[in-house]
Amino acid sequence: MRLNKVVTGLAFGLAASSFANAQTIDISITNLTHAQNFTPRLVIAHDNTVDAFEVGQPASTALAWLAEAGVIEDEQNAASSGQNFEALLGPEDTDNGSNTWHRFGGLLAPSMTLSYPFDTMDKPYLSLLSMLVPTNDAFVGLDSIVIPTEPGTYTYFLNAYDAGTELNDELNSARTDITEAGTGNALGGYGVPGVAGGGASPVPLGTGGTGVGAVIENGQVEDGTDGPVHIHRNVLGDTSDTGGASDLNSTVHRWLNPVARVTITVPAP
Amino acid sequence: MKKSTLSVRLLILSLALGLGGCFDDGDDGADGAQGPQGEQGPAGPAGPAGQDGQDGQNGTGNTAVYTVQITNLTYAQPFSPAAIILHEEGYSAFTDGEPASVAIEELAEGGSNASLLSEAMGSVYYLDSQAGSGPIPPRSIGNTYTLVVPELDVDNLRLSVATMLVNTNDAFTALNAMDVSNMTVGQSESFMAPTWDSGTEANTETADTMPGPAAAAAGGGGAAAGFDAARDDLFDRVHFHRGATTSANATDPSLEGLSTSVLTEGHRWDNPTAKITITRTR
Repeated sequence: MRLNKVVTGLAFGLAASSFANAQTIDISITNLTHAQNFTPRLVIAHDNTVDAFEVGQPASTALAWLAEAGVIEDEQNAASSGQNFEALLGPEDTDNGSNTWHRFGGLLAPSMTLSYPFDTMDKPYLSLLSMLVPTNDAFVGLDSIVIPTEPGTYTYFLNAYDAGTELNDELNSARTDITEAGTGNALGGYGVPGVAGGGASPVPLGTGGTGVGAVIENGQVEDGTDGPVHIHRNVLGDTSDTGGASDLNSTVHRWLNPVARVTITVPAP
Repeated sequence: MKKSTLSVRLLILSLALGLGGCFDDGDDGADGAQGPQGEQGPAGPAGPAGQDGQDGQNGTGNTAVYTVQITNLTYAQPFSPAAIILHEEGYSAFTDGEPASVAIEELAEGGSNASLLSEAMGSVYYLDSQAGSGPIPPRSIGNTYTLVVPELDVDNLRLSVATMLVNTNDAFTALNAMDVSNMTVGQSESFMAPTWDSGTEANTETADTMPGPAAAAAGGGGAAAGFDAARDDLFDRVHFHRGATTSANATDPSLEGLSTSVLTEGHRWDNPTAKITITRTR
């Protein structure tokens, strides 16, 4: 009887220490912008073979899907299959060896904070990405920080990057008076011009803009690229809903870095 | 009387004869003088090699080696050739809120790092520096530069970097005496750098006041549009840059833009404008 208790205590001690190694942390994200929503957040715990983005280097197709359309995995958009982060990293919520990742769904509105538990599965680094809408291809990014292991609260401020995979035309993708140059495709998400997520803007977008980073010619606008990945120069916008260069509003949609605050809490064991 | 004399003579003679064996007979001469020394003989065979000496003690002249790399984070602002300086605490290239030195003015208005580097070399806190070999284009990772400092100074090491955003009047991005003490070999640290206005030139954004390609495309630019000793900004003090106004939205109803600017919306930036990575390699 007495001996059994001792053995049980030992087993419990071992279980507790292995739980502490498979670290579950709390990740809290605050949207610091005035009027830019964050698309579903991609959170990746990974080793040094994974690099979701790097300033000065071209964006991957997976990053283009996230930055132009907010898409991380097949479930969000079947057309992204084979090209998105799910294809790059492996199945969600799984130890994929080099990484484990999760999509925290829904929009994160300006000034709002959301918190999530996240099992890092002992990976040493953490990255976080989310698109800013309405923009052409702006994203907020946390690039491979070392995941803290000492119990405590750690705060990071994140910048807005331009994926460089689409020219910043700042044109409302709901418009039907313009199409993609060459293809005639409607404006919208991945691979075509236009500001994605216009419907998710806290204020309605304009419709009469002539284009900013790319200009309408004969009812068409080119998709183009302006990479590699760099710090976003901010949207331009203007104050006209029916004219001017941009369909964004310069008094509403602009931001300054940092655009997000991330707080990681490592619980006491 | 005669007889007696004879006998004495005989006695002397006999004595002389009797003692004859005791007297020098004159045949042996004195020893001759020593002869001259003989000629030197041939050299003997070489002796065996001596033992190796002991290793010397470590000197005090060991060095630590660092590499520095700058990434241009902007969309359309090339960086002028950078000034990269490792130094001890005590030197600073500029101070927020204070008037810029002429060296900073030359860098921020004209993109020249020469005076800043030569002034740094004159500081008692100076350790080593590198002059960038050329501009760093927008959205690109620059060359790697190697700096060497005495190992003794590793525990009190500061990194200063300065480079101009050339499509501006007097904007520069910099690290101002960043503490990089006690890095271990193989360790790497990255810093995101903001953008300062040197406060030495009004931000007119015209072709004849900016040295970069945007001004050149508008018929100005180059050295003539760079450094100007006159200081005509609102306040002659180094401060955080408020960003470029540009000509965007200059003619629409908002009139937000600066119609006399030769810059376009693409020349705008948000901070940080540079990522600077230092790695200790030895």
